[in-house]
This record gives sequence, C-alpha cells and structure tokens, in this order.
Amino acid sequence: MKVTVCIGSSCHLKGSRQVVEQLQYHIGANNLKDSVELGGTFCMGKCQQGVCVSVDDKCFSVTPETVGEFFKTEILEKLT
Amino acid sequence: MNNLCTDIGWKSINHAGEQLCGDHVDIVEQDENSSVIVLADGLGSGVKASILSTLTSKIISTMMASGLSIEDCVETIAATLPICSVRGVAYSTFTIIHLINNETAELIQYDNPMAILIRDGKNYDYPATEMHIGGKKIFRSSIKLHEGDVFVAMSDGCPHAGIGIGYNFGWQRDDIVMFMEALASAGYTAKTLSTYLIDEVNRLYGGQPGDDATSCVVKVRRREPMNILFGPPSNRDDCGRMMSLFFSKEGKHIICGGTTSTIAAKYLRRPLKASIEYEKSDVPPIAKIEGVDLVTEGVITVNKVLSYAEDYLSGNELYEEWSHRRDGASLICQLLFEEATDINFYVGRAMNPAHQNPDLPINFNIKMKLVEELSRCLKQMGKRIKVSYF
Repeated sequence: MKVTVCIGSSCHLKGSRQVVEQLQYHIGANNLKDSVELGGTFCMGKCQQGVCVSVDDKCFSVTPETVGEFFKTEILEKLT
Repeated sequence: MNNLCTDIGWKSINHAGEQLCGDHVDIVEQDENSSVIVLADGLGSGVKASILSTLTSKIISTMMASGLSIEDCVETIAATLPICSVRGVAYSTFTIIHLINNETAELIQYDNPMAILIRDGKNYDYPATEMHIGGKKIFRSSIKLHEGDVFVAMSDGCPHAGIGIGYNFGWQRDDIVMFMEALASAGYTAKTLSTYLIDEVNRLYGGQPGDDATSCVVKVRRREPMNILFGPPSNRDDCGRMMSLFFSKEGKHIICGGTTSTIAAKYLRRPLKASIEYEKSDVPPIAKIEGVDLVTEGVITVNKVLSYAEDYLSGNELYEEWSHRRDGASLICQLLFEEATDINFYVGRAMNPAHQNPDLPINFNIKMKLVEELSRCLKQMGKRIKVSYF
C-alpha cells in the first residue's frame, strides 16, 4: 500500500508535518513498516481540501485532528 | 579580463556603552570589476569618532572612485575634518583597498594595523612603499590578485583586544595572522570570516570592547553562476520556453515551488521524489529531480531564506542556524550566499488559486515582494543579479 502526503506550501500551512509524523508513529506502532510505503509529494492541485493524502491513487482530505481516525479506517482496516 | 571576482564583507562592534561605531567601512563600485573599499577609524569613540570616520571614508572612496590621486584625497580630508576641541587635532586613520579590474589590489594604509594578506593558506608579506603626504606617513602597495587571496583590513580595536585581560599587549597582529590562516582556506565567505574575527575580538574583550573594532575581508574567488526558478509562468504556453532558458544556463540549478518542480520534472521526463524528512520544523521538506541540484517548496522556504539574508547583512547572528543544516531554506542559503557570485532568477507570475485564500499568509503580491527583497539583499552581498519574469 502506498500512502502519499502533500507537503506543498498550502498543505504545509494546514499541518502536513503533524499528519506525516502521526502517520509515521501509527505505522510504526502497528508494525506496518513493511506493508505501507509512506512518501511525500508536492501539490496535488486540491489545495482547498488540504491536507491532501492519497492512498493508492485515491484522494483524502485529512487534518491533524482527523489523522488518527483516517489511519484506522483507510489504512489499518484495509490491510487486515 | 579574467574570471575572478571579489567577495567583500565586514563587521564592527562598538566600544562598550556606545551606540555609534567610531569605525566606518565604505565601498564604492567604480564599475563591474573595480571598487574602492575604505575602512576608517575615527579618533576616540562615540559620535565624534563616528563623524570623523564617516566623513573620511566617504570622501576617500568617492574621490578615489572618480580617479583622483591619493595626495588629493589626503589634502581634502585634512582641510575638511572638524578639529577635536579636546585634543586639537582632526584625525582618522584609514586603510584603502582599491581593486582594479579584478586583477590588481592597490593598498594604501595610514596608521591602521597593516592589512593582512593570506595567500595559499599562508601569510604573504607584500612589499610596501613609504610615502609622506602632508606630514602623514602612508604605505602603498600594489598586489596582483590570485584566486583564493584573502585580504584582512582592521581597525586597531582588533589587535588591542584583551589588553590587560587575557594578554599583556593585546591580540598581536601575528596572532591574528595565525587565527586567519586557519580559517582562510576553509571556504567561508568574506562576511563569515570577518564575523569570526570580530567575535573572537569581542570574546577577548570579555564582551566589553575597550574600543570600536572592525574587520573588513576581501576574498578573491572565481565567478560561480547559479540559476533559480521560482513559480510557474503566468501563461501555460510559456512553460517550455521558460524551462529551456533555465536549463540551458551554465551553473547550478535550484527550483523553488511545488507546481514549478512538477512542471520541471515533466520537462526533463524524470520523476519528482518528495521527501518527508522534516529537518527543521518550520520549513517544508525538499524533493529530488535527477539533473537538478536542489528542489524545494516555494513561498515558505524562500521567506525563510529572505529572513536569513537580512540577518546575514546585519549582525550575521543566525549563521550557525543555516550554515550546516540540510533543510530547503538552509541549502538555498548555502548555495546563494556562499557559493554563487552571479545569480539568475527565473520568476513565474502565475497566480496559484489555492494561495488566494485570505486565511493563508501567502498570496501573489507576497511572492513578487519576496523576489524583489531577496534580490536586493543578494545585490547588497555583492552578487550580480538578473531577474527575468515569465
């Protein structure tokens, strides 16, 4: 599974750093380092919906507050 | 014509308790390859010294740059300077470094500590001719420039550092030579070299300088072109033209901006790989494109670069913050401030719809302002700047 977080200007200001750090933490805590490839990308062209995160080409709008929930439903549950 | 150029930087500290510096450095560019640098040290400290040194350096630099002889300059100063009511003399010492065509340096020195020349990492004792003008003993030397030469001019506040505290006779010129020999070949810029020297002087004074102290460093180096791309063009059809102009230029290539780097990656037909390593909390991560020396985010990163640039030109206090880090802003600073001598900006004027959100602290005007301010700062650092808009 490939998870990509936008680190462009707009998403950066909306908190992509916190999103990346929390995803890194959750992936580590659930021992998913081998099955999830976390990466960064520049602008996905959907800045209004930032922070933009894509999971295998499907786009999601995530905030530092919702990232825990997002991880559970879109990453953890899809893999188990 | 050779491909040498000079990097000039200086720093002063004031006599403890004074708000004004009694030393003054003035730099006048005669043309692209020639300039006159004057470091003057006014008698005493505070307002009086500041006026004396400012007048002296301004008069000499302006007159020398217009091609007048040193005799004329000295006579003018003697006739112009106000006479100190306490001491009954008008007095300001000076060191002149006249760079001619980036080939020769003419040194004219009056009563300041003799300027140091470091060549190939070693002190180089240059010949000096003594001459007398209006009762003043003045030393004159003409030196052919070599790549890597470092000239260090200073006011007597430097060798006086530490008198009675750490040393009996202050920080002798020979000690300063050794200090600078160690630093000269390490690749630091003139500004950084002068900062290190003055910081050491300040340390030897115990943070309470007993005199104004100034050092001015001139470093002879080869020209190094650098190209920086910032923002997509306002007209989509210009992408190809902008990219081909940018990539055809000699020197390193820096790309700032997410959309901009996406366009560049498409043009080069190479993948764009963004990293998620946060080297520094307030600067977004960098990315990689094969064939491009540095790829970073746009406005936030460049904004950070600008604040470093402003600091570099004033106190240079944040130097340690950017000089060794690997985040986007620090890397740009290292390339632009330290490596480059000629910088070509390729600025796209496209409006990013996402940035027009009033909640975000970035918009089109800020972007244009950033470019203007940054190129002004870089010019002040002595770089040649060319900005093209698309």
